[in-house]
Order: sequence, then structure tokens, then C-alpha cells
Amino acid sequence: MSAEHAIVVDGVTKEFLIRQSGTMTLKSAVIERFMGRKRYQRTLLALDSVSFSVRKGETLGIIGANGAGKSTLLSLITGTMLPSAGTIRSSGSVSSLLELGAGFHPDLTGRENVFLYGAIMGLTREQMKQRFDAIVAFAELSDFIDQPVKHYSSGMYVRLGFAVAVEVNPDILLVDEVLAVGDESFQRKCIAKMEEFRREGRTMLIISHDIPTIQAISDRILFLDHGKVAGLGDPSEITEGYRSASRSKLAKSSEREWGSGEITIQDVTIRGGDGPAEDFSFGDEMVIDIAYEAKEPVARPVFGVAIKDVKGATMFGTNTQIEGTTIERVEGKGRIAVRFDNLALAGGTYLISLSVHSEDHRTNYHRVDNRYPISIQAPKSFEGVHLSTEWKVQK
Amino acid sequence: MRLNRLLTDIWERRELLWILVLRNLKIRYKNSALGFFWSLLTPLVMILIYAVFARILRFNEGQPWYLQMLVTGIVVWQFLSTCLNDSLSAVGGNTNLVKKTSFPRIILPLSNVAANLINFMLTLVVLIVYLLAVGLRPACLLGLPLVLLTHAALCLGLALIISSANVYFRDTEHIVGVSTLAWFFLTPIFYEAERQLAFMPENMRWMIYLNPMTGTVAAYRFIFMSLPTAGAPGMAISAAVCWGVLLIGVVVFQKAQRYFGDVL
Repeated sequence: MSAEHAIVVDGVTKEFLIRQSGTMTLKSAVIERFMGRKRYQRTLLALDSVSFSVRKGETLGIIGANGAGKSTLLSLITGTMLPSAGTIRSSGSVSSLLELGAGFHPDLTGRENVFLYGAIMGLTREQMKQRFDAIVAFAELSDFIDQPVKHYSSGMYVRLGFAVAVEVNPDILLVDEVLAVGDESFQRKCIAKMEEFRREGRTMLIISHDIPTIQAISDRILFLDHGKVAGLGDPSEITEGYRSASRSKLAKSSEREWGSGEITIQDVTIRGGDGPAEDFSFGDEMVIDIAYEAKEPVARPVFGVAIKDVKGATMFGTNTQIEGTTIERVEGKGRIAVRFDNLALAGGTYLISLSVHSEDHRTNYHRVDNRYPISIQAPKSFEGVHLSTEWKVQK
Repeated sequence: MRLNRLLTDIWERRELLWILVLRNLKIRYKNSALGFFWSLLTPLVMILIYAVFARILRFNEGQPWYLQMLVTGIVVWQFLSTCLNDSLSAVGGNTNLVKKTSFPRIILPLSNVAANLINFMLTLVVLIVYLLAVGLRPACLLGLPLVLLTHAALCLGLALIISSANVYFRDTEHIVGVSTLAWFFLTPIFYEAERQLAFMPENMRWMIYLNPMTGTVAAYRFIFMSLPTAGAPGMAISAAVCWGVLLIGVVVFQKAQRYFGDVL
């Protein structure tokens, strides 16, 4: 391990044994050993030969879907678990926030827990005393610090947890999903503190599902997928890969398709101003190119399109009938395109659904729901569809 | 030297050890009006109860100092039995700490035993005052630290084994409960060691000292009450077993603790 590295993870694999039935007892252990009866066990591969290193002073963001192995990785670096194979080396003290306020004892007061955490980190009582006021001030808990933490609200718990973990001045700070909890003002404070950490040249590993924040704060990003390294490098590049992976996963999970089959939607291309695209900005132009096939002649079919957000709410939907485009007759292969001049939608991921049905809406020839994902970046944080508005202040 | 390394690790976290010891003591007497005085009151009440029953039931009439011998034995036994009982939850009861933070795990059972030791020493003060009051003279209080340390080594060794076993095997609690009860009656507490010796052929008598509590109880009785012991060889065997159990405990625990994070 060279002097410039804070953490070196080399070929780390972590397997968990999952017992299918019952709990382990001494009796069952003896029976299994001597009678050769083995209960069915399953291994779960949480991490699969993961290798990477973190330089001193670097901030590494870790992203990935739930169950990708992010938290297991931090547990291994913290030292609460040992890898099944491979090695992890780190230099300097590691303070970890594996769940905020982890290790707090509910019956002890906030004050006692602060000293307990300091002691776990190997700090003396004197050292903790010097930091105590700063911790209480940061956590904004001066009125409650002598109450048992079991009476704390979850927000208070989280604030104290974050305050302690950063104030013990570790060489390496591990943060697991801190940004998801706490109110907005506290989140801003956390991010400011992390920025300060970064400026001081300390090493940080951050797990978060808040992609824009993690992208802004990290020097590099590690993308884990099913326990494997799916990408490591430049934040915007890796988050892009992650976004498109999770988009297609989202589309796959909510996708539905049905219809009577007289006309089928064959091939769909979504294009932006300069060629096929999935990522758009607010106000962009978008064209959906649909190739269809009619096995037999069909008169007056209606093509429809809908845009839904990830929660399934329809943002916009229309069809050729509503828009006054009459298609007299289709037969064999053909193409139809729909152009959106101005994607005035809030930032986020959307799923596009397409349909073709009869003029009287009685027969669905083919309908494809939620198959085509797009994402939109918006400069302003309005919600839903942006309608033209004007505010006038009146006396 | 891995043992050396372990001792250094523990020394570096002595602050944590101390905080956990205080936490153990604090939680024990929390929400009780008399608080810390319970640790003095409990043995006093116990002495009183045994005194009353020994009088009413007239057992071992005529044997000098029977009550004092009995009380000494029970106080000594209680240190062991509370340690065994507390050790069941030493690791399993601190899941949060073990899963989320990193420190030498051995500190958890160690802090339990240390807290019990402090409690035990307070009880001993009450016991000594009582024994002096009824007119008994201690033999050599100077030997007490050595006996105390050996006794604590036994308690810690067993606590290490039980606390790690209880993480992996859910029936540890029942096994400990039953074995402790059997062990209590195998140890000369209600009776003197001579009674056991009478059952044994001459050349096998040393074997009763393989029960480390036999020698330990005899040692305390010698120190506090000047009761004769069975001699140095027997005491040495018991002491050796105590330290041997500690050694085994440390080895078992250090192996077992590697997977605490996975299992809990």
C-alpha cells in the first residue's frame, strides 16, 4: 500500500450463509456434525471480487440499487465484518456512519452516548470534552442533551449521530445514506460539513441514492451492481450509466403490453435535436418514431402516446384522433412519428407509453405501457408540467 | 505475540472499557430509589435470611461458624453466577455496537465481568465487617488480591466462552442455567470440602480440586475465617484450572468474534 492511498480494497468477496429453516442451536450443530444431517443452506454473494483504491483526501461516492452490496462494503471497511476473500487495508482512523446514531444506547443520555462513541473511536475523555460543545451546537440539541436518547425524535437522533461522527476528526469518514434523512436545513448543513471535510483534505466514502448531490460532492464514483464493480471514475459519466441502468430497470418492472394484434408496434426510436436520445433538458424537442405493422388492412386506426412519471401519474396523454390527424387506412409496414416541440416537464425520470386502437376505442390493437424511459433535467424546481405563468403583486 | 497485541488493543480502548463498566453499573441500579446502596443492602438481607433459617431449621447444629461459612460460600458463588448470567447478553445484547462500530469485541464481556467484580468487592466489604463483628479473625488479607484475581480469571474465561457461544447457538442459555445449578451443588458451599473427600479414595482426593470453585471457596474461607484449607497442592490445582479456563476463553472468543458481524 503506497503512502498516497487511504484505502485499498483488493479482490474482496463477501458471502453470507443463509439458513433456510430454524435457528442454530448447539443441539442442531451436534446433530449436523455427527449424524451428517445438513440443513439446507444457501449462500448469498454480497460482493464479488471488488477491487479499488481511494487516495488520501479523495471523496468517493458509492451508488447502486438496493442490495448491490454498498452497505456490506462499508461494513467491511469499518471492520465490523471480515471479507470471505481478498484484503482491505486502510490507513488512519475510520469513523463510520453506518446508519446514523448507530451504537447509541437508548437508555443513556445524549451526553453519555457522545462520550461512548468517542471512546469507541479511541478518544480520551479530555479530547471529547473539548469537542463536546461543538457537537451539541452542530446537532442543535442543547435542550435535550441530558435526556435519554430513546426519547429523541428520529431527526434528533440523526443530527446527533452525524455531529459526533464528524467531530471526532477521523482520517476517513464513511457515510451511509445520511442525506436521505433529516430535514432540508440539516441536510444542507451536512453537505456543507462534508465540503469542509473535503477542503481539509480528508478521505470520505459516501453512499447515497441522492444522485445529484453525490455527483456534486464526489471526486470519483463507484457504481456497484449485484456485488460487482459496474463502473468507477468521473462522477457525471458514472451517474449517467447508473441512471440509464436504473431507468431501464424501472421500465422493465412496470412495463405492460397487450392487444388484439391487428396492428403491432414494432420498433420505436426516441430522438432529440441531434439523433437518438434518452436524456433531455427542459424545453427540448423530442420525436418519437414508431414503426408499425398491420397484418390485415385496418381502417381509421388511432395512435396514442402518454408520458407518466415514476409514480405512475400521467403527465400528458393524447392521440391522433384528439389532435385531428385522421389515418384513413393502414396495411403492411409503415411509420408514424410524433413530435413534442417543448418538453416543459419537471426534472426527473418519465416513462412513455404507446398505443394503437380502433376509432371507437373498443378494440386495442396493441398497447405498450411504460416501456420507454426518458429523463429530463430542469433548471428550475417546479413540479409537474410547466404552464406559462405570470405573477403580479397587487397592493 | 498475538496476546500482546490483544492487550495493547484493550489498553488503547481503556476509556471505552471504563464507560461500559459504568454503564453496566448504572443500568443495574437505574430507576431504583436506593441506587448504589442495593449492592450493600442485598448481601446484608441475605445474611439475615440465612441466619434466621439456620436458627429455625437447626441444621448443622453444633458445627462452629456454620452460618458464616455458608454465607461466605454463597457470596463467592454469586460473583460467578452473575457473571455467567450477564455474559449471555454481553455480545448479543449489544448488536448495535457490534454491527455498526469497530473496537476489540473482548471489551464487551470484559466490561461485564469488571462491573460484577466491583460489585463483588463492595459485597466483600460488607462480609468482612460482618465476620469481624461476630468475632472471626481473617487469616491473611494480603492474599486476597491474588485469590480475587484468580477468581475473576475463571469468571472472565467462562464469560468469554458463553458470550460467544450465545451468538451462534440459541440454546446456550438453557445449558448455562442447568449446568450452573449442578455446579453449585457440586461445590462445597452448603457443606465443607471434607464431606466430599470422605467419598474419595485417598489417592484420588486431589480430583475434587479440578472443580476450580472448590479451591476458590476454600481460599476465601481461609482468608476471611481462618478455616483450614486442604493444603497447597489442592489450591494450586484449582488456581491452575481458573487460569487455564481464561486462556481457553480468550482463544475461543477471539476465533468466534471474527463472524459476530455476520451472524448477529
